[in-house]
Amino acid sequence: MEPHAPRVLVADDEDDIRALVCLAVRRAGCRVVTEAADGPAALDGARNTLPDLAVLDVSMPGATGLEVCSALRADPSTAGVRVLLLSAGASPEDVARGLASGADSYLAKPFTVAGLVARVRELAGGVPA
Amino acid sequence: MTAVEQTPATTTAEIDLLRAEVARLAAERDALRADMERRDGELETAGRMLAARAQTMTSVIDAVTEQSIIGTDLDGVVRVWNPGAEKLLGLPRADVVRRRLVTDFHLADELAADGGGLAALVRVAQAEGRDVRDWTYVTARGEERTVSVAVTPRSDDSGEHAGWNFVATDMTEVRASERLKDQFVSLISHELRTPLSSILGYLELVLDDPDQPLTDEQRSHLGTVERNAQRLLRLVGDLLFTAQVEAGRFTLQPEDVDLAAVLRGAEETARVAATAGGVRLDLELPEGGLVVPGDPVRLGQACDNLVSNAVKFTPAGGCVTLALRAGWQAPDGTTTDDERPGSAPVARISVTDTGYGIPAAELDQLFTRFFRASTAKRNAVKGVGLGLSITKAITTAHGGTLDVTSTEGHGTTFTLTLPR
Repeated sequence: MEPHAPRVLVADDEDDIRALVCLAVRRAGCRVVTEAADGPAALDGARNTLPDLAVLDVSMPGATGLEVCSALRADPSTAGVRVLLLSAGASPEDVARGLASGADSYLAKPFTVAGLVARVRELAGGVPA
Repeated sequence: MTAVEQTPATTTAEIDLLRAEVARLAAERDALRADMERRDGELETAGRMLAARAQTMTSVIDAVTEQSIIGTDLDGVVRVWNPGAEKLLGLPRADVVRRRLVTDFHLADELAADGGGLAALVRVAQAEGRDVRDWTYVTARGEERTVSVAVTPRSDDSGEHAGWNFVATDMTEVRASERLKDQFVSLISHELRTPLSSILGYLELVLDDPDQPLTDEQRSHLGTVERNAQRLLRLVGDLLFTAQVEAGRFTLQPEDVDLAAVLRGAEETARVAATAGGVRLDLELPEGGLVVPGDPVRLGQACDNLVSNAVKFTPAGGCVTLALRAGWQAPDGTTTDDERPGSAPVARISVTDTGYGIPAAELDQLFTRFFRASTAKRNAVKGVGLGLSITKAITTAHGGTLDVTSTEGHGTTFTLTLPR
């Protein structure tokens, strides 16, 4: 891994999905700096590590990905963190709600690993691993 | 006596005349009396009939205990208050009639949002003769109830507009159950899509790992797993979409769509299944394509459903033809190839198969959710009966129509007509 590889936070309460997302992040040439399994841990992690990109599941205990995203945008120190939301909700309304929370991009589950790698690379600026 | 003696002949004649006149008047009097008595009888009968009719009306209205019927004058003052209203709103007739306004029992904020007062309740009924919609009633105990209210104008004896009728059905439990079903479907959809994400994601990793290539047999087995996971995913998507249609939350993302590209996509999607089933796919497209305003994803889904159905319904050696034509539709729904006065431009997609066909008696039910044709069950055609109801909903949302003709044993043609 490049020492200057883009730094990514991954938050999802499903262990299997989180591991899959971490793998895709690494394949995109990025480094996972924080893994979180709920909303508050994701927010703390983002404030502590100031990642280049936060990949957030929408449905998480404690605070949803949308709430975490809004909180990141409201805090000047984390307002610049790019956010990719992952959600099982795939309707246009779900996507619109996600983007309205301030997210840069939205990917509906189930996603393909190749698709996620491309999206992470696009948002975090990583190079292929 | 003297005068009588002077003109005895004249007097007798006069007496006769007078007698005759008296007799005529007596007859006339008798006739008038008889007429009066008859009319009196008629009046009494009419009065009894009116009273009976009023009694019938009252007894009918009083027999309605599960629907609230409120009649008002033009100012909204309550004049009729049936037992259903007593039961729903918790107030006896005597406390309400001529004392309260119908608006007293409505949620004030809801009326205010529509302009406020009686006008908010009757605006549509005034313009269109009737209006049915959900409102919120507030009972004597302050409890809010969701009601479906039918508003119609009320006339007096002479047919003059005298007020309004408000017939309300309590929908509180029904609406709550609809919301619950909606939430349930969303929850199930989420709970199924999440594990499917894991299954499909990890399958992709195994199938595409260049460091550990799979044997052909392993690849084939995992291909079966993937195909079935995709099938489950489509089913979840169909269930969620059906719930959205039912809840009225189905929206289109319209843009210019080339239907030729949509049909080429549908043909490509169906090609694997068609080849496996020994079914030939023919595509007949106009040169230069055909553009309509629509949602490309939803129109693609509609065409995929029609083509996939046709392939599933056609035994080996058969043929499925996808055709796209421009046409003109008259106001009565008939379509022609040439423009006629008053006709509107349309695009017609037809999907014709040489398959099992559908019995004529079942054609009417074909677009009903979860309905499966007897020929589908008899020939073990897979499916749950959602595809055509979804296709119909998508077509209707685009202002189009979906028609079917079929002959059992010979095949079926679905024609999707869209405005262009």
